[in-house]
Amino acid sequence: MSTVVNLAEQLINGISLGMVYVLLAAGLSIIFGVMDVINFSHGELFALGAYFALSIVDPLGSGVGFWVALILSPLLVGIVGVGIERFTIRPLYGRNPLYHILLTFGLVLIINDLITLGWGPEQQNLGVPEYLTTPIALGGIEVSVYNYFMIGFTALLAAGIWLFLTKSKYGMIIRAGSEDRQMVRNVGIDIDRYYTLIFGIGAALAAVGGVILGGYQSVSPGMGSSVIVPAFIIVVLGGLGSFRGAVFGGLLVGIVRTLTRTYAGSELFELQGTIVAVPDFEGVTIFLLMIGVLLYKPQGLFGSSEHGGGAESTLLTGVESQVFSDGTRRTLGLAFLVLLALAPLVFLLTGNTYYITLLNQMFIFAIFALSLDVVMGYTGLVPLGHTMFYGVGAYAAALVMIHLTSSFLIALAVAILVCAILAWIVGSLSIRVSGIYFAMITLAFAELLYNMVYKFDFTGGSDGLVGWEPLVGIAGVGIELGSISLPLGLIEITPATAFYYIAFGLALLSLYFATRVMNAPFGSVLASIGETEERTKFLGYDVRKYKRRVFVISGGMAGMAGGLLAVNPSTFIVSPDQTLAWIHSGEVIVMTLVGGMGTLVGPMLGAGFFVGAEDILSSYTEQWRLVIGTVFVLFVLFVPRGLISLPSVIADVYSESRFDNSIATKKDMEESK
Amino acid sequence: MTETVLEIRDLTKKFGQLTATNHIDLDVESGEFRSVIGPNGAGKTTLFNLISGALRPTSGRIEFAGEPIADLPPHERVRRGVSRSFQITNIFSGLTVHENVRLAVQSKHYAGLDRTEALFRDTGSFDTMNDRTDGILRRIGLADRASEMAGTLAYGDQRRLEIGLVLATDPQLVLLDEPTAGMSSEETRETLELVNEVLADQSIMLIEHDIDLIMDVSDRITVLTRGEVLASGTPEEISTNDDVQDAYLGGGRDE
Repeated sequence: MSTVVNLAEQLINGISLGMVYVLLAAGLSIIFGVMDVINFSHGELFALGAYFALSIVDPLGSGVGFWVALILSPLLVGIVGVGIERFTIRPLYGRNPLYHILLTFGLVLIINDLITLGWGPEQQNLGVPEYLTTPIALGGIEVSVYNYFMIGFTALLAAGIWLFLTKSKYGMIIRAGSEDRQMVRNVGIDIDRYYTLIFGIGAALAAVGGVILGGYQSVSPGMGSSVIVPAFIIVVLGGLGSFRGAVFGGLLVGIVRTLTRTYAGSELFELQGTIVAVPDFEGVTIFLLMIGVLLYKPQGLFGSSEHGGGAESTLLTGVESQVFSDGTRRTLGLAFLVLLALAPLVFLLTGNTYYITLLNQMFIFAIFALSLDVVMGYTGLVPLGHTMFYGVGAYAAALVMIHLTSSFLIALAVAILVCAILAWIVGSLSIRVSGIYFAMITLAFAELLYNMVYKFDFTGGSDGLVGWEPLVGIAGVGIELGSISLPLGLIEITPATAFYYIAFGLALLSLYFATRVMNAPFGSVLASIGETEERTKFLGYDVRKYKRRVFVISGGMAGMAGGLLAVNPSTFIVSPDQTLAWIHSGEVIVMTLVGGMGTLVGPMLGAGFFVGAEDILSSYTEQWRLVIGTVFVLFVLFVPRGLISLPSVIADVYSESRFDNSIATKKDMEESK
Repeated sequence: MTETVLEIRDLTKKFGQLTATNHIDLDVESGEFRSVIGPNGAGKTTLFNLISGALRPTSGRIEFAGEPIADLPPHERVRRGVSRSFQITNIFSGLTVHENVRLAVQSKHYAGLDRTEALFRDTGSFDTMNDRTDGILRRIGLADRASEMAGTLAYGDQRRLEIGLVLATDPQLVLLDEPTAGMSSEETRETLELVNEVLADQSIMLIEHDIDLIMDVSDRITVLTRGEVLASGTPEEISTNDDVQDAYLGGGRDE
């Protein structure tokens, strides 16, 4: 087969995939353009579309069923979208747009688990009429009829949406709303009703994409999370809120992905005996592309500069010490520490050693959450790729212990150092953009690293790293953590127990470190940046310098958490999915927010809560993420200041007193202006 | 002879097709109280943004204390002594009143701290800074509200706090963008008195809509229309200037 024909076939495959991305990105982009909502659950709505189609095709057969599903499934998902908008997104209008990211991340967990619950975890095939799946040769190019159907159908649909937006009355109002919401309200149009409609349309478009891709490839619960990141990249590439950008970006990403996948590793030419091959860039190119575009033209290729620049309304931070006096809190804290210090001894005595392992995990995540908090809770930067530091820290520590020295101290030190350097590089580039763009660019960096560890041999590819033995000591002098066995009266100190005190100590040290920093001049500037960046700048502070530095501190701390994961005696493997997948960036945000961001203790408690809840729930149900997701959504909606503020929230409800923590008053004041 | 603290020559800022400030020349002398007036869209705030560094000029020169500053980032200008307030209240509403002012004071001292101090020493233990903060709180009359959250202050007090923030950065030139916006006439008078009192040693540039109000307090007044300087002079000169009369009475209807 000639290379030209092959290339043409791959181009058609690329465009087919690209058109699905166009549908996804168009919905995301319209929703953002009009409502300023970043919908992370878009991928799950897409998957839901495919699953509804499965259930429709099943009784009707693939002949009729596919066409019925193509109409009915998007309608159903559209209705789901309407419900989501009314009951979860609507209460959040007016808050910082980053809350929508958090909320819809919770929805991801919920919908994904509902899908597994309803349809099972295994991969399934969606029945497609036979005449669509037959191969067809046009001008020597042989692809399936389905390719042409995909391209044709989605092109028609996209054209229809474009006509709707530009020519119809509704479309005009929607576009006017994306320009100036208040003005549309002032002329007597109930724009809120349109929000529901728009979200419904966006959801339905995603579902169409799901049905079509389901018929092209297959249907599995992971399909949502595998498209959402590319979809975001497309929207950011094309420009948030731009329909043209979505079309262009969708096709570009579809083609680039298909071509890089097909031609990776193929030989280009031979040079002095060495074969020069196309480097394996799949999954890496689009992230590099996104980072490049964001840095060069943050508003995207087709975007206008009005959207998503900075965060106008600040994030709601936790409120401490409203109910308990300082003294009570200190006593409580101290009692808690003593309890933690004695806990493993009690567990060893009673034989519940499992809980030691669980607490070890909590300490690791507590440090990780704390590291996010100094960036997110204090400085007001929301990184969606924070897990890159956790993952790189774990890899760095494991690599040190495999190749260099088994000393856990050196492994941790290297993990911290490597991540601090990485944070300096990523930070320097990312802080040039703000708000949603900052969130997106950090996500792109994390995904870039995630895809890179797959490519390299020294990182063990998708299998990850195995086979090291941490040494408690330095320069060969010390004892292997895994073989610690120290009889102590009635109990015997196990490796897990030894690690417990290491992790506990480091968690305490981190908390102490963060407290000192936040109470010092440097930390006070971070808090002021979190409040209003502009004012901070005009007080004479070089805001970027502070952001970069806090990013380095945070990255180093997250690196230490990752390093601890590698040192943990119950960790046998460090793999990309376990450390670098984007879902972990979301999880650590959940921990921080549930605990109460902007307080140092809150996120650490949140981490403990998350790990504990996961453990308890997963012993009852496979769908523990469903419960966690629901709890998280409820927190975003009703307790945005986190667990740490629960005492004051409860006290508030009880006494009905009008002590309020400055939100209400602030709002009143803004309204009275 | 008084010296010129701010010298602006041929300053132009274009946003696409729109020319917001058009070849502006302007001098402010040391210790002067200069008011800038003009109708909406005359380019007053743009001019302030150019001087303070929020915007970079399309062309032209800005010299402060004899040095070009037009290409410096905002924080560098603050360090050299150019400080500003904002048209819409811009304070740290989630921090205490004391912390607001302390942050402004700290900005001046920060460079003098060694790294360990800056990272780890408790802010409460820097006596010089905290004393200076207390002093400023007394001068702006907010000493007894120091521990309250800035966001819970009454509107007038928030505007006072803004002036305190400006004062705390120890500026030579102060840019005040409608510090009296949204105030009753009584509050306005009080605020202008406060400005006159606490910023007596500084050069002041003030944006204000109400001509009558600034006649008493200003040394000189600059009138802007459509991005250009229509007239500059003492209050008497401005009040008798025909162009100004036309612009204000004619509402700028002529092209």
